Amino acid sequence: MKILIANRGEIAVRIIRACREMGLPTVAVYSDCDRAARHVRDADQAVHIGPNEAVRSYLAIDRLVAAARETGADAVHPGYGFLAENASFAAACRDAGLTFIGPSPDAIALMGSKTAARAAAIRAGVPVVPGTDQPFGPDATELEIAKAAADIGYPLLVKAVAGGGGKGMRGVQTSAELTAAVRLARSEAGAAFGDSSIYLERRLARPRHVEIQLLGDQFGTVVPFVERECSIQRRHQKVVEESPSLAVTAELRQRIADAAAAVARAVNYTNAGTIEFLLDEDGAFYFLEMNTRLQVEHPVTEMVTSVDLVQWQIRIARGERLDIDPVRALTPQGHAIECRIYAEDPDRGFMPSPGLIRAIRPASGPGIRDDSGVSSGYTVPVYYDSMIAKLVAWAGSRDEAISRMSRALSEYQVLGIRTTIPFFVWLMNQEDYRKGRYDTSWLDRVMADRNCMGFNELEADEETVATIAASIDAYLRALAHGSDNRPSSSVSLWQRTARTEALRG
Amino acid sequence: MTFEMEIGGRRVAVAVEPSGPGRYRVTLDGKPYDVLAERSGEFNLSLILDQATGRSREVSVASAGETGELLVGLGGRTVTVSVDGRRRRGTSDGGAHTHGEQAIVAPMPGRIVRVLVGEGEEVAARQAVVVVEAMKMENELRSPKAGRVTKVAVTPGMLVEAGRVLAVIE
Repeated sequence: MKILIANRGEIAVRIIRACREMGLPTVAVYSDCDRAARHVRDADQAVHIGPNEAVRSYLAIDRLVAAARETGADAVHPGYGFLAENASFAAACRDAGLTFIGPSPDAIALMGSKTAARAAAIRAGVPVVPGTDQPFGPDATELEIAKAAADIGYPLLVKAVAGGGGKGMRGVQTSAELTAAVRLARSEAGAAFGDSSIYLERRLARPRHVEIQLLGDQFGTVVPFVERECSIQRRHQKVVEESPSLAVTAELRQRIADAAAAVARAVNYTNAGTIEFLLDEDGAFYFLEMNTRLQVEHPVTEMVTSVDLVQWQIRIARGERLDIDPVRALTPQGHAIECRIYAEDPDRGFMPSPGLIRAIRPASGPGIRDDSGVSSGYTVPVYYDSMIAKLVAWAGSRDEAISRMSRALSEYQVLGIRTTIPFFVWLMNQEDYRKGRYDTSWLDRVMADRNCMGFNELEADEETVATIAASIDAYLRALAHGSDNRPSSSVSLWQRTARTEALRG
Repeated sequence: MTFEMEIGGRRVAVAVEPSGPGRYRVTLDGKPYDVLAERSGEFNLSLILDQATGRSREVSVASAGETGELLVGLGGRTVTVSVDGRRRRGTSDGGAHTHGEQAIVAPMPGRIVRVLVGEGEEVAARQAVVVVEAMKMENELRSPKAGRVTKVAVTPGMLVEAGRVLAVIE
C-alpha cells in the first residue's frame, strides 16, 4: 500500500514516520513555498500540487487526487485540518478508487453539523448540554427565541449552527442581554460562515473539556481510550493537552468511554475519531461534538497507552481487525503532557512570527517526544497555520511530567523567530496549573489579569548574562569579518547585516 | 572594542577586550566581568561566568530576519538586543521608544478584519487598534504608546502587504 499524505507540516512528518515503520512507501505533496519543507524531504516521493494559497494546493481536491493517480498511490491520509473533515474529499478519493484513511463520507457529513451530531448523541442515550434541538433560522422571532431561552435557563450560550473556533458564540447572563447577544452572534456567524442560523445551549459554570479518542474497525468493533484533558485554552483554542485528566476517576472514565463508544456505534463510525465532552464540577458530563479525524493532541494518548494511533488508522483502512485490549486502552500508564509550539510572539498578543529558522535544537532525553515539522534553514511561511512542533513529555506521574516538560522547554532552542516556548515556561510554573485547578476559561482569566505583561522578562542577573553573551558574539563576529578594533567597524557590520536582511525580507 | 546595546528598553555601554585564550573582559556600564566564552555551533556561546564557582550558561544569539535585531535566548526565554542603537521598524513592545509619531505596520501579509479606532481618538498604550487576519488567525495590533490616532490608513476587508502602514499614533 502506497500512501499519499494530503497535508504538510508536523502531521505529514508524523504520518510518514508511521508509514516508514510499517514498510509502506509515501508520497508527499507540496505548494511552492514548501518545496524544501521537511515532509517533502522525508517522503519517498513528492509532488508539486500548486501555489502557496491553500485553496489552490492543500485544499484542491482535484490536484490531490491527480497526484495520487500520477504516483500510483493506493491510499490517502488527510492528517488534520485542510480536507480532513471534508466529506466531498473522502467521496472523491473513494470514487477514484483510493482508500481514504478515515471515516466514511457519510459519517463525516453527519457529525459535521452541530445540531445533527447532538441529535445522534441523544439517540445513543448520551447526555448533551441542555439546549434547543432545532436551529433558529434567520426569520425566527425574538419571542420564540426568548421562550426557548427561558425553558433552558440562564446563563446560556448563543451559538452558530455552522460555528467553530468560538466565532458566532455569545454568552448571556440574564434575559435582558438575550436580544443583543442573538443579534451579534447572527451577524458574526453570517459573516464568518455564510449561515446566520443559531441555537441555544446552557452555559456550565466552570466546565472542563475532556475528550475520548476512539478507534472503530470495519467489523463493528469500537475501542475507546483513556480521556484527554484539554481545558487549557486560549480564546477557545487548545494550547496544552494531557492524559489522563485529574478530574476523572476510573469509574467516571468507564462511563464517559462507554458514552463515547455508544455515539460512535450509533453512526457506524470507522477509523480514528474523538468525542468531546464538557465535564461539570459535579461530575456530570455532556456531549459537545465529534471530530471525525486524527487530532493534533493524539500523541498524549499514544504515550500513556503505547498504541500507535496512526498505524492503526492505516491497518483499519486496509481492512484489519482491531484487536487492542479494551482494558489496556482505558488504563493510563503514567502521565503525558503536550505543548503546542507556535511561531507566535506571546509578548505581542500571540501575533504570528513567521520567518527564517536560523537554527533549531529540539529538546530530547528521557520521556520527551518532539513531533516537529520544521528544521534549521526553513522559513515558516505566512500562508498556513503557525504551529511548528508539538513537545510531549511523559513521566510516571503528573508532577514528574510537569517537571520534565519544564526541563525540556528550557532545552528547546528555536533561533530566528519568536515562539510560544516562553509562554509554556511560564504556564508550567503556575500554581493553579500544577495543582490542576483550572477549567476552560481559566487561562483567559489569568491572561486578562496579566494585562499584557511579557513572558520573556529576565531577572537582572540573567539580563546581564544575555548582554555579556550578545557583546562577545558581536565582538567575535566583527573579528571574523576581518575588521580592526575601531568601534565604528562593528557599527558598519551590523548595519550591513540589517541592510541585507531588509532586502531579503 | 566598544559599542552600545539596548536590552529590555535599557541602554548599556559595552566594552569587550580579549584577556587570554577563550577569555574576555566585558565591561557593562563601567562594571567589569571576566568571562570564559567558546562558540558551540554557529549561534551558541558557552559561557563560564565566574571562574571561582564555574557558573556555566549556554546562550544563543541569532539575528531576527525581519528586523535585523539580535534574539538572545537562554533557559527557554528570548530577549531582543540591538547593537549601536539600531531600532526595530514599526511597532515596538512599548517602554523604550514612545516619543513622536509611531506607525502601526502590518507584520505580515493579511486581511483587515476590524478597525477599532477612529482618527482623532485617544488611545492607551497597548490598546488594540486594528485586527488583521493572517496565518488563519485574527491578530490584534496594539498601540505602542498612549496618544492620539492621527491617521487610519485601512478599512475592513482590505488586503495588506507586510510593512504597510495601517495607522499612526502621535
